[in-house]
Amino acid sequence: MNIRNIVAGLAILVLVTFSEKATGQDAPAHAITNVTIHLASGETLSNSDIVWRNGIIVDIGSDLDIPFDVYTIDGGDSLHVFPGLIDGLATWGSPEQPRNLPNLEDPGNPPYDRAGVQPERKPVHYLNEDKSISAAMKAGFTLVGLGLDGQMLPGQVQPFNLSSEQLTEAHLFSTSIGLQGSFDTAPGGWGSGAYPSTQMGVMAYFRQLMYDAAALQEHMNYFEKHPDMPQPEHSEVLEALFPLINADIPLIFEVDSKEEIERLFRLQDEFGFKTILVGARKAAPLAEELKNRNISVIASLDVNDKPKWMTDAEKESKDSENDKDGEDKSEESDELSEEEITFRAKQEAAWNSETQNIRSLIDSGVSVGFSSAGLSVKDLQSKITLLVDEGVLTTTELLKMMTHTNADILGLSNRVGDLKVGMGAHLILTTGPLFEKGTKIHTHVSQGVINDFMEN
Amino acid sequence: MKKITYIFIIIGVFSVSAFAQDKGSVFIENATLVTVTDDIIENGDILITNGVITQIGTDLSAPAGVTVIDGTGKFVMPGIIDAHSHLNTVSTNEARNPVTAEVTMEESIDPNEVSIYRALAGGVTSIHLMHGSANVIGGQGETLKLRYGSTQDGMRFDGAKRTIKFALGENPTRVHGQGNGILPRTRMGVEQIIRSHFDEALDYRVKREAYLSAKQKYESDRRGRTAPPVPVAKNLRYDVLNDIIDGEILVHCHSYRADEILMLMRVFNDYGIKNYTFQHANEAFKVAPEIAKNGAYTSVFADWWAYKFEVYYSTAFNATILNENGVTNSINSDSNELIRHLNHEAAKTVRYGQTSEADALKMITINPAMQLGIADKVGSLEVGKQGDIAIWSGHPLSIYSKVEQTYIDGTKYFDLANDPVDMRIDISSDDNYEESFTTGFIKGREADACMSDVFQLIQE
Repeated sequence: MNIRNIVAGLAILVLVTFSEKATGQDAPAHAITNVTIHLASGETLSNSDIVWRNGIIVDIGSDLDIPFDVYTIDGGDSLHVFPGLIDGLATWGSPEQPRNLPNLEDPGNPPYDRAGVQPERKPVHYLNEDKSISAAMKAGFTLVGLGLDGQMLPGQVQPFNLSSEQLTEAHLFSTSIGLQGSFDTAPGGWGSGAYPSTQMGVMAYFRQLMYDAAALQEHMNYFEKHPDMPQPEHSEVLEALFPLINADIPLIFEVDSKEEIERLFRLQDEFGFKTILVGARKAAPLAEELKNRNISVIASLDVNDKPKWMTDAEKESKDSENDKDGEDKSEESDELSEEEITFRAKQEAAWNSETQNIRSLIDSGVSVGFSSAGLSVKDLQSKITLLVDEGVLTTTELLKMMTHTNADILGLSNRVGDLKVGMGAHLILTTGPLFEKGTKIHTHVSQGVINDFMEN
Repeated sequence: MKKITYIFIIIGVFSVSAFAQDKGSVFIENATLVTVTDDIIENGDILITNGVITQIGTDLSAPAGVTVIDGTGKFVMPGIIDAHSHLNTVSTNEARNPVTAEVTMEESIDPNEVSIYRALAGGVTSIHLMHGSANVIGGQGETLKLRYGSTQDGMRFDGAKRTIKFALGENPTRVHGQGNGILPRTRMGVEQIIRSHFDEALDYRVKREAYLSAKQKYESDRRGRTAPPVPVAKNLRYDVLNDIIDGEILVHCHSYRADEILMLMRVFNDYGIKNYTFQHANEAFKVAPEIAKNGAYTSVFADWWAYKFEVYYSTAFNATILNENGVTNSINSDSNELIRHLNHEAAKTVRYGQTSEADALKMITINPAMQLGIADKVGSLEVGKQGDIAIWSGHPLSIYSKVEQTYIDGTKYFDLANDPVDMRIDISSDDNYEESFTTGFIKGREADACMSDVFQLIQE
């Protein structure tokens, strides 16, 4: 064997070794072929394929060179692929709130947890198995910002890939993306409750927390440079507020009414933190202000049903078209008092305004995503139908809210929220257009993990 | 047609909010002007220009373009000011600690409460929205103008002095002593809570100022020879207590018995606190000279008592005795029902104690204005003051008189001739007509309005 042969042999060995490494450590690729692909923008790619490997989209389009090791799902030219839906904030799997809390010796100075202040909590350490997660998966959700049930500062918000009813560290999509917050008062009733027990108390308590955290952070900074000074006392609660003070993460704050949002503005003006509104069901009057403050909303779709008298009137109106005996019924409405007639007019205006809330926010340029915010998946479809039927939102807008915009608001849009090469494989294969009655989720893919619902 | 009428009414209702913050102009001619701080002017004219009273007198002329109201047979007086109200609180008591100076009613304003409109119909233009009386040192108050249809910010009285609620006696001892087994359980304990917290606040101030000074020194030392200080966090509660000591916040103290009134004056003298008001103060008549000597104020009910033990020793002559002793006294409501007819409450001092009509009217106008630190702005008809007025059908102290119009900053907020059948605002689509009608309706005089939400909490 001459030198040339030895070199050639080594070269082949190296090539084989590396190529083995390239394929040996990769999971097999997956592809869905021959489908209509819908992007977050609403743009569609017909007769197209999508390929992912190791949880990342590696190719998308028509007539792709499908890798040899791919596991393929054939869409048969009739199925659709959408980006996986994202729920901006849910508390699935959160442990139940403790009941029968013991009375405190000094309710005015409760430990942080009894005041409803637990910003150090990370959901991953607390989550229970929850059937709501599989229900959400079956509705098309592949990623969620998970928080915990609680009060003023219940904990951190962590994004999870949705592929199991029991979420663990293995499902974490990234580190914490914000602190959860609300104006909820300390837990407990008269016997076991604590300060703060009112919204004004929550605001004052929040301020003091921020002052205390700022002082501790300053002390720790000083100590780092001057270890000969008195050592700061560590506090995992106050230290968990440092990223908020430093505007590194937002306060993801659950709030609905105009007045409460204005109160949140006061706190923001004082401390300069970033914030995202959750719910915001009556935020429309403040749309311009939200836009000016660059505050995004992960909105609740939980609009109220029409007042019964409105649906009855619509039904009567339809009936009277077919029934000439409608005169008696109109006499009945004439019997209403002036007060009630006025009340109804105001109520109708209120319903229209509440229903148009998200529209007003979007039209004002506010970035609006979606949060289930306590609304069950079961009720979600009926609310979507209502909003689409009333002309408030199109299905394309809803798709964008629940995918790209949500990812953008949560700071994750470089990795999820659309179907592009390099993004996480979060997608759903459906039997028809999304949000339409009768459409079923055929296959659910979360960061590349496949759940085939048609098999079950 | 009917529908069109109601839509018109609704547009009328919501147009209130459209001009809620505006300053208006109006000229009222040939009315009886009850100036409060000066003589009554018969056949008088008053001009409000852009929210401010610019002319008062007789035979004045209305500038072009200004709305003219014929005041013939009518009385014009300053808007009534209620120095003690919980009219539109979101919550009243942060009742979980005996001292909650850091909370503020500024953050507990419900601008949509229909009772605001009812108070306007009683000629009230400003209220002192107060924390409840569960705590020895409760939350800070907020003086409001009743700009119904405005926002919570829009209701604030610009330039009013800061205030705070203190409470003595049964309420704080019951809530904290009996309720939670902590201080204060007795009236002695109440005094101790006040003294110890003032002392803690003063101690904090020394430490905080020393820290801020050392920090400045450290940060300006470019050679790095100065050691950094251990930070002393800003303390919101102690900052407020120090502001009280510094005279920047006016104390309004819920109190009934003469001995506790004397106690608080001793405490305040020790800390140099002045310009405070005893609220309720049913036994103040017993120590009227001492109150006058200390320059303290009182704000009392005309004849409301016996709703708990410490309120049994009371008299309808209280206001008159205080007034005769030179105490600046006001008559307050502490009730969403009483606030609608504070003129009657003031009139009772004339009926019972033969207080002069002029002094009786002061008790619901300039005197509460003094107690709230707004007497330079409202409380009387004077050139330069704000155009907060009410037009009455007759003498304001007459049982037969009605408020016909109420103006704030020259803008009309109530008009009896155009009083829509339903003035509720901020109705939700899921509100129930029957329920929201009854719960929003006046239930009558509540037993102890200062404690209303504490009782709800106890019942939970």
